[in-house]
Amino acid sequence: MSAVHLTLALSSCVAAFSALGLAMDRHYEDSYGRGKAPSSGLRRALRLVGTGGLLLSLWACLAAAGTAQGWVFWFGVMTLSALSVVLVLSYAPGRVTRVLQGGVVLAVVCAGWVVVG
Amino acid sequence: MKEGFRQSMAWLHTWSGLLVGWVLFMVFATGTSAYFRDEISHWMKPELHTAHAASQATPAQAAGQAVRFLEREATGSTRWNIGLPSDREPDVRVTWTRPQPPGTPRQRPLAVQLDPATGERLAAPRATRGGDFFYRMHFDLHYMPALWARWIVGFCAMFMLVAIVSGIVTHRRIFSDFFTFRPRKGQRSWLDAHNATAVLALPYHLMITYTGLVTLMFMYMPWGAQTVYQGDQKTFFAEAFPNAAGSAPQKAAGRPAALVPLGPLVEQAQARWQGAAASRVVVTFPRDANAAVTVYRDAQSSLSSNQASVVFNGTTGQLLETRGEAVPAASETRGVFVGLHMGHFAGPVLRWLFFLSGLAGCVMVATGLLMWAVKERQKYAKALAKGGRIGFGLRLVDGLNLGAIAGLPLAMASFFWANRLIPVTTADRPAAEIAAFFTVWGAATVAGIAWPARRMWQVQLALGGLLFAAVPVLNPLTGGAGLITAGAAGHWSLVGFDATCLLLGAALLASAWWLGRRKPAARAGTAPRSAQAARPAQPAAPAPHPHPAGEPGLSPARHTLAAAAAEGSSP
Amino acid sequence: MTARSPSHPADGATRSRIRLPLLWSDAARCRWAVASRALAAIVGGYVLSALCSTALAMWLPLARAEAVITGTLASFAIYAGAVMWVFAARSAGRAWAGIAVPAAVLGAALWLVVRGAAQGAAS
Repeated sequence: MSAVHLTLALSSCVAAFSALGLAMDRHYEDSYGRGKAPSSGLRRALRLVGTGGLLLSLWACLAAAGTAQGWVFWFGVMTLSALSVVLVLSYAPGRVTRVLQGGVVLAVVCAGWVVVG
Repeated sequence: MKEGFRQSMAWLHTWSGLLVGWVLFMVFATGTSAYFRDEISHWMKPELHTAHAASQATPAQAAGQAVRFLEREATGSTRWNIGLPSDREPDVRVTWTRPQPPGTPRQRPLAVQLDPATGERLAAPRATRGGDFFYRMHFDLHYMPALWARWIVGFCAMFMLVAIVSGIVTHRRIFSDFFTFRPRKGQRSWLDAHNATAVLALPYHLMITYTGLVTLMFMYMPWGAQTVYQGDQKTFFAEAFPNAAGSAPQKAAGRPAALVPLGPLVEQAQARWQGAAASRVVVTFPRDANAAVTVYRDAQSSLSSNQASVVFNGTTGQLLETRGEAVPAASETRGVFVGLHMGHFAGPVLRWLFFLSGLAGCVMVATGLLMWAVKERQKYAKALAKGGRIGFGLRLVDGLNLGAIAGLPLAMASFFWANRLIPVTTADRPAAEIAAFFTVWGAATVAGIAWPARRMWQVQLALGGLLFAAVPVLNPLTGGAGLITAGAAGHWSLVGFDATCLLLGAALLASAWWLGRRKPAARAGTAPRSAQAARPAQPAAPAPHPHPAGEPGLSPARHTLAAAAAEGSSP
Repeated sequence: MTARSPSHPADGATRSRIRLPLLWSDAARCRWAVASRALAAIVGGYVLSALCSTALAMWLPLARAEAVITGTLASFAIYAGAVMWVFAARSAGRAWAGIAVPAAVLGAALWLVVRGAAQGAAS
């Protein structure tokens, strides 16, 4: 498993879970303050980013480790990413948006590298 | 009995989890450590730390050198087993069966480690079971016949499977509560930690439990095979596992014949597998006309545990058959299930991910056990506040929790310390190391039952933490290659072992410290309120006398008893 | 005219509580029910899943060894399902019935087939 593929898988998964978390009322409130809720458009966008991120990380795992092992890898990557996001949501809820943005940027860079290289 | 499907599943989840939780915690802990069983064994043989680093050889070369050694030392043997070097095990491991005078009891095959480049015996390492001790304990337990142990572990695994499935049913709002983890909120935090570690690694937990049952499924559920084959086990295994038998000769011819060089055979096999490495070579009836050479493919190439192999005639080098290439669907499924459980296929990254998931499983079982104790304690909170003593049953559960959860890491660390401190010349050294492990564990459990207080949790966790954290210091002082030496030589397995011990130790110390930080104000806050509830006639009641036998280091939820009781009844 | 409420719960309870021996108190009855269900789940579940795996092994249209492996692989899922059924059933009686009836049917069918095969082989 090359480093680029691994980084792509992890960063897109972290971004995906951050997005899915922010799409939920409770975590949006934790992040932005009580009473705030994402607009329906924003919620849809976040869910889209979340699903897309998960699929992108699945693709990265399959590309790196083949069909059988790739799926196993993906579950492992999801476990690690979800754990990290849960910790950020619990101990530093204000930072979640930053994590999401950082994850997206890193994922895009790595995806570009994989496609081009 | 509670009404409603979800509530009945919640009840089932709690009870099925508790009754086997202590065994399961040990099974998870030993199983998780077994992902790095080779690395643990290597660390526990410090004599080998500097020896191998230099030698490099291709599998073909190593096989040739090994044969030269075996022809010298293993004359008369009917079976040679040569383990070829790999990333995780850089030396050559040879075992051979010794000629057996009739009537004598069966002897264990001799095992020797060789340098892959020269074929010379490596410096004899100290006698130790190494990581194999934890691996075996995972399903054979110890100090009891293997058959009993496997039934006990299988029973617990079945309970675990039921607990997982009923837990999924119980966990309402699985997608909205998915990410909820509220720290610093007493019992709610334990529940959240339990949910988080359970849900986040849920695919892993479900997989590892089911595949664990599958690895011994012919022992647990032999009825299908028995009925269809009318008790003829041999035929069943021959049909189900065609790899095991095969066209190689089953008896020696009695005529001596030279063994063809193994190197080219290994290379031929690897070419057939498009470059996948060979992991093992088995020679049956060496130096005999009926000799056969079987080359096995390494585990990383496929999820399935059905290893592909190529069989050659030992005197002519002619290819006799290939196995494991067209396996029927059900056999392959079983092979994949077993392979997933063993994890041999996993490269370094995936192996660490499995290890992490295994640790999550340990945390899941531990938090489940602790939550049960906290909830039980709340039922008796009123009686306790009035000055009553906790019953023997609850005290026993507290003590067993302590011994099982805090005592096990302490015992595992002691095992590593015993490995370095017990003199090399001790008779039956491996058993001595194992005895040290069980002595410490037993003492921890007895101490826990004698005094199941928060202090005892702190003491045991801190002690375990200290022992683990000091391993990287112990290592170079007792003849091993320390972090710096090993790092410089690129000896990553040793670096990984020391670093992991350091991290585990830090985590244990942190949890011991965190337990000590629980504010007494929280307890004083609930205590006068409970005193008021119990003795409304006496105003300005002082805090009741200290809880007898203490609590197991967990603060009840900060809200009132009523809220706690209400919370306690809903999952 | 107010309708008479049929058998007021409190009356019945008071009457029965005075006369029932300790063995049949509510708490004890609950524990017996639990024990009964545990027995049905652990033992009955095992028997049912063993019978199911044998049935699959005998009757799946696959090669012998394949059918046996498939049946054995599935047995643990069947066992888990049976355990969950036992504890989700509305009463202990239903729980036992849900295990015993399929087990009896499968058991009888398998016994007939095995005995028939043995007689066929003997003749």
